[in-house]
Amino acid sequence: MATDFWASSHYKRWIVDRATLKESRSDDLQYVDDPEYLDFFAIFFANVITKLGKKLNFRQRVIATAIVFFRRFYIKNSYCETDPFIVIAACCYVAGKAEESPVHIKNMVAEARLFFSQQPYGVKYFPSDNSKLAEMEFYLVADLECDLTVFHPYRTLLSICKKESSNDLQTEAGEVGVGVDDGPRYWGSGDGQLELPDDAFQLAWSIINDTYRSDLCLLYPPHLLAITALYLAVVLHGPTRELLQQQSHSVEVTPVHSSPRRSSRQSSSTSLGHAKKPSQDFVAFFAELNISMPLVATIAQEIISLYTLWERYLEDSDLVDSAKSAFHGHAQAQLGASHSGVSTPVENLDDAQRPHGATPTFLLQVLMRMRENRLSDMALASSGRPVAVNKMLERTQAAG
Amino acid sequence: MDAVEKANTARQKRWVKDRKVGEGTYAVVYQGREASTSRKVAIKKIKVGQFKDGLDMSAIREVKYLRELHHQNVIELLDVFSSKTNLNLVLEFLDSDLEMIIQDRSLVFLPADIKAWMAMTLRGLEFCHRNFMLHRDLKPNNLLIASDGQLKIADFGLARDFADPGHKMTCQVITRWYRPPELLFGCRYYSSAVDIWSVGCIFAELMLRTPYLPGESDMDQLKTIFRALGTPTEEDWPGHTKLPDYVPVGQFPRTPLRDLFTAASGDTLNLLSRFLVYEPRRRINARDALNHAYFFALPHPSHPSKLPKPAAQTSRPLEELDGNVDIASAGPGVKAVAPNKLKRKLTSPDGTDLRPLARRLDFTQHVKRS
Repeated sequence: MATDFWASSHYKRWIVDRATLKESRSDDLQYVDDPEYLDFFAIFFANVITKLGKKLNFRQRVIATAIVFFRRFYIKNSYCETDPFIVIAACCYVAGKAEESPVHIKNMVAEARLFFSQQPYGVKYFPSDNSKLAEMEFYLVADLECDLTVFHPYRTLLSICKKESSNDLQTEAGEVGVGVDDGPRYWGSGDGQLELPDDAFQLAWSIINDTYRSDLCLLYPPHLLAITALYLAVVLHGPTRELLQQQSHSVEVTPVHSSPRRSSRQSSSTSLGHAKKPSQDFVAFFAELNISMPLVATIAQEIISLYTLWERYLEDSDLVDSAKSAFHGHAQAQLGASHSGVSTPVENLDDAQRPHGATPTFLLQVLMRMRENRLSDMALASSGRPVAVNKMLERTQAAG
Repeated sequence: MDAVEKANTARQKRWVKDRKVGEGTYAVVYQGREASTSRKVAIKKIKVGQFKDGLDMSAIREVKYLRELHHQNVIELLDVFSSKTNLNLVLEFLDSDLEMIIQDRSLVFLPADIKAWMAMTLRGLEFCHRNFMLHRDLKPNNLLIASDGQLKIADFGLARDFADPGHKMTCQVITRWYRPPELLFGCRYYSSAVDIWSVGCIFAELMLRTPYLPGESDMDQLKTIFRALGTPTEEDWPGHTKLPDYVPVGQFPRTPLRDLFTAASGDTLNLLSRFLVYEPRRRINARDALNHAYFFALPHPSHPSKLPKPAAQTSRPLEELDGNVDIASAGPGVKAVAPNKLKRKLTSPDGTDLRPLARRLDFTQHVKRS
C-alpha cells in the first residue's frame, strides 16, 4: 500500500462497473457455450495463482496482488486470444517485484513450468526461455498502465478489528501474525477496534481471501470488501452470532456470560475469553463506520452467490485457507442451533443445483475449445466478423 | 487495432522526443516536449528490447510510486506509454540538482535560502511518509531543482512502502554518507526515521558546502558519525548494541555542533540535532520538523524564484541543444548540461560534478558519490 486510496490509481482507474466487465468478456462470450463457464474461470485461475504463489512462498498479499493484476489484465484482453498460463506466470512475477518479494526470472520460469506441467493442467508448451516471460511481463505492465499499487482489504480488517489474543504477543501462522512493536504504529492507535474471537477473525480473513475468486476486487473498494467480510464473519461465527441475537432482542446491552447453547465444536478458549469482557455492540460498531450499509449488504449477497457458484466447482484437492468449508460448517451449525429460524440466504446454498459442476480439467477443455474456435474463425477471414489479429503477436513482429 | 492500443497511440502522439541526453544501463533518457504546448519534458525509455531478465526492480519501484505520488515537491510522472517493445516514462524536465548548486562555489547561500530548500525537501518527504512510503535514497543529487526554483524529490528506485509489521527489510539502502547508524548496524526493522537522518546530513551539507559525514567504507562511516556526534551510550540509544551487525568502533567524545557550525542560529542547530538523534524513535519526524521553530523564525525562507541557481542553465546556447551529443561520456557533451565549463573546472578539479544528465534521471544507478 502506498498513498491515499482516494487519490490512488486503484480508485481512479481500476474500480470498474459491471457494464465494463461485461464488455471486456464480449469476445469470450462468442466462443463459450455457457456464460457461466467464464465465472468458473474466475475461480479456477485465482486458484491456480494461489497455488503457484504458495509454491513460490509468496505471502497472501503478494498472491492477492497477482490475482488483481490478472483480473485487470483481462479487463482489456480476452481469455480466448491469450494464454492465461503465461499471463499467470507474469502476474506472479510482477506482483513479487511490486510487493518487494522478488523472484528471479529463472526460478519463476522453472517453477511455473514444473507446476503447469503437472495434473490437472498438463501444460507442456510453457516456454523454458526467460525471454518469453520477460516479454509477457512487458505487455502486462503496459496493459496495467504501470499502476502497480494495489490496495487490499487485509489492512482495513487489521485496522478496524483485532483478535482477542492479540494482547499477548503470540505469532500466528501466516499473515495474520502479530507485528513486532517497532516504531510508531501507522494504522491507528487501536482505540475503538472491534475485538473478535480468534476464529471469527480468521473467518473474516478467509472470506477476504475468497473474494479474489471473483471480480469483486475490480468492482468495489477494498475497505468495503473488508467490512463486508467482517460483517459476514460476525453473522456466521457461532459465538458472535449469539451475541448479536441477544443484543438485538434486548435493548440494553448486558455483559454476556458463557452462553448455554453452543455447538460443541466451539473451542473453550474463545468462550472463556468472551465471558471475561463486556460484550461489544456490533450493530453500533457497524453503524459508526460511516459507510453505506445497503452497499455492504449488496456485496454480502455477491459473496454469498460466489460461494453458491463455488460449491459447484470441484477442485481435485482443497485449498488450505479457503473459508468455503468453514462457511458451510458454520452456516449449518447455526441453522441447527438457532431456534428462531432466522432465514438467511445461506439456507439456499445446500439446495443449489449441484448437477452442473465444473472441474479444472473440464474448464481447460472449454478454454482449449474457445481458443481453437477463435483460431478457425480467424482463418476464415471472409466470415464478415472483423478479425482481431493476435495483438501480442503483431506487436512482437513489429518490434522485429 | 483495439481500444487499448488506440489510447496508447494517442498518448504516444502527445509527446515528442527531441534529443538523447543520456543512457543508463537499461534506460535511455531523451529531452522532449509536449506536442501541443511545447512544455519541456524528460522521456525515459526503458529498454526491454531483448527481454532478457525482465524489468529492473528499480524501474518497477519508480514506476509504482511515481504513478501514485503527486506533490509539488516530488518529481511528476506525467504519462506512461509503450512503443513497440519499450516502456516510456514521461517526466517533468528538471535541469539541475542540489548537489550541483552546493558545489558551485560562485553561489552564496543565505540562511533564508537553506531554509527554503529544507522546507521544500521536508514537504515532499512529509508527503511520502504520510503516504506510507520510504524514499531510502535521499541525497543532494536526488533533490532536483526546477527552473522556477522548486525542489523536487526524485529517484524512487529504492523506495518502498512501510513493511507489514514483523516483515524484514533490507538494510543495504541509502548512499553511505547519508545512511543512518541503525542501517549501518544492520537493523532490518526500520521506519521513516532513516530518511530523516539523510535530511539532517543534507541540512549540514547545505551549511558546510561539503558533505558532512563522508565515510570511506561502511565501517569508516560509523567512525565518521561517532567522531562528529560522539559515540552513543546505552542511554542515548537503548539496545543498539544488540543490533545484528553491531561492532564497537571506539569511543569518541560528543562535541557541540556549535564548534563546527559557527554561524548557525540556535534554532538551526536545535533542528539539526533533532535530525541527527541516534535513537530512531526519538528522531524528529517530517511533520514535526516542519512545525519546528526554525521555520517560523526570521529570516523567512526565500521565495523559490529567488534561490541561487547555476548561472549556466539560464543562458544555454541554442546550438548546443541540437545534435546527437552523447553526454553519457564525460566528454564534450557535458556542455549540454553545464556549458559554463570554466567555472565548474575551477571549483571541482576532480570533476566529480561533471556527471552526465542520465545519472540524475537514471534510476538504475545508486553509485556512491566517492
